[in-house]
Amino acid sequence: MAPMSDIVLRADRLAKTFHLGFFRKRVEAVTDASFDVRRGEVFGYLGPNGSGKTTTLKMLMGLVFPSRGRAEVLGRGVPNRQAKRRLGYLPESPYFYEYLSPEEFLDLAGALSDVPRRERRKRADGLITRVGLDHARGRPLRKFSKGMLQRIGIAQALMGDPELVVLDEPMTGLDPIGRKEIRDLMLELKREGRTVLYSTHILPDVELTCDRVAMIFAGRIRNVGPLSELLTARLLSTEVCLRHGVGQVPTLPQGGKLRESPDGLLVDLPEGSDVDAFLRVALTANCSVTSVTPRRESLEDLFVREAGSQKGTS
Amino acid sequence: MNRIVAIAWNTFREAVRNKILYSLLFFAVLIIVSALAIGDLTLHEEVRTIRDIGLFGIDIFGVIIAIFVGVNLLYKELDLKTVYTILPKPLWRWEFVLGKWLGILLTLAVQMVVMGAVLGTVLAVEGAKFDVATAKAVWLLFINVMLVTSIAVFFSSFSSPFLSGFFSLGCFVVGRSVPDIRALGAKAVPGAKRILDLFCDVIPNLHLFYPSGSIVGAEEVSVHRQFVGADYMLTTTAYGVAYSVVVLVFAMLIFRKRDFV
Repeated sequence: MAPMSDIVLRADRLAKTFHLGFFRKRVEAVTDASFDVRRGEVFGYLGPNGSGKTTTLKMLMGLVFPSRGRAEVLGRGVPNRQAKRRLGYLPESPYFYEYLSPEEFLDLAGALSDVPRRERRKRADGLITRVGLDHARGRPLRKFSKGMLQRIGIAQALMGDPELVVLDEPMTGLDPIGRKEIRDLMLELKREGRTVLYSTHILPDVELTCDRVAMIFAGRIRNVGPLSELLTARLLSTEVCLRHGVGQVPTLPQGGKLRESPDGLLVDLPEGSDVDAFLRVALTANCSVTSVTPRRESLEDLFVREAGSQKGTS
Repeated sequence: MNRIVAIAWNTFREAVRNKILYSLLFFAVLIIVSALAIGDLTLHEEVRTIRDIGLFGIDIFGVIIAIFVGVNLLYKELDLKTVYTILPKPLWRWEFVLGKWLGILLTLAVQMVVMGAVLGTVLAVEGAKFDVATAKAVWLLFINVMLVTSIAVFFSSFSSPFLSGFFSLGCFVVGRSVPDIRALGAKAVPGAKRILDLFCDVIPNLHLFYPSGSIVGAEEVSVHRQFVGADYMLTTTAYGVAYSVVVLVFAMLIFRKRDFV
């Protein structure tokens, strides 16, 4: 367990129930969210659409009041103005004042973060360059593409020079290059000593950036910890690729699967198969083996497994 | 304070970049200028007609713009979700509401100055002056507009623009009719009179801000002859400001408890 001084954000049994419509129908958006975010890490908050990620982040940002539980940001209960001064936040699918230019918008964000006027100008200038929007200076935000809006959104979150940066679905709507740029930016923020918490359902990005993750399914946290601990190290299967039309494919062991791919015939040998013996038989039968790939559990496997077990219990 | 000024300035900037507002202002100016033509149709009453129509234009368009801006600018922050970016900043929610209100007020003040300047120019064309009485009347209309804005902001802190606009307009119409409602109460049975009196005590008495032609003290006041004195201006301004503050505090309390889903 991390010492208290290392914890920059804590969600303690957070829950939110909304009462919607004329008949005040109860909708439990989050039933139990507990996790800590530690200083200097990139923390991923994962979950499928509608699982309660955004509602949790809104509770942590003071936009939504929890029905139960407690949220703490930078050592203070939410909402707290002193804590907010050290915090930057990018909402999901952000909308900004479309009549403002990037410079005007960042100046407003800086003024609201108590940044002195002269410093605001300098910071805005640097951040516009940092997020790659030099070409869009002076242009109203209404003319920005989704990717550009996402970038200016990150810039506004950084205007207050925050210790903790919270990004809600920062990769949404971005092309692969845009996603890579945001990933690089998050790792850069980490190198600068900032803590990053971001929500997403794009799993490859998480594997590349996050030190630790929390997974939420149907409003309830299922897993919290480093990816290396969450993913089982055991071998799930071994994939053997054989060249098309060369040699006689040996009989598959029980549970083995054969499928065609442009690279060749893919043989999927289940956990516990004698791979050496299969390869010996294949080579004796004049097969050409182009690759042998052991397959361990990926984040996607874990995610699908957890989502499946959640469906089973609900 | 800087944060409130930043919100107010941004609100003002949003309003002045809104084309619909210019259309409303254009129609207001058109009505004031048309007073010149209408004045020519009267017999030696040109100045009186211009002043009446001009003040009427400033009053009605001031209120329409106040409701339009007051109802829309706060609601738009919620509807377009710009508030999600602003409220997580180190800013109290009441500072946000106050900033919005001040920004709207600044917008309306500029509009009133423009409409007043047009009226002054039209009066000058007829060889008359924008005198102290007219200036006092425009000031009272501005306080009226401030109060209507507060009411519009209050309603938009918890309901849709349509309902907020409808309720705000309703408050304006009823508030202007306070003397008529009281007169109605005077003729009613005692129980109904008490209810109507209580109603008139609670709703904003907007008739106070358009006193020309009514009896103040024991005398009839008119913007063309003897208008209200300094004590009336002071107490009416204080009433408008106090009422606005109370309504605004209610708006802030509602906004403070809101979930931004």
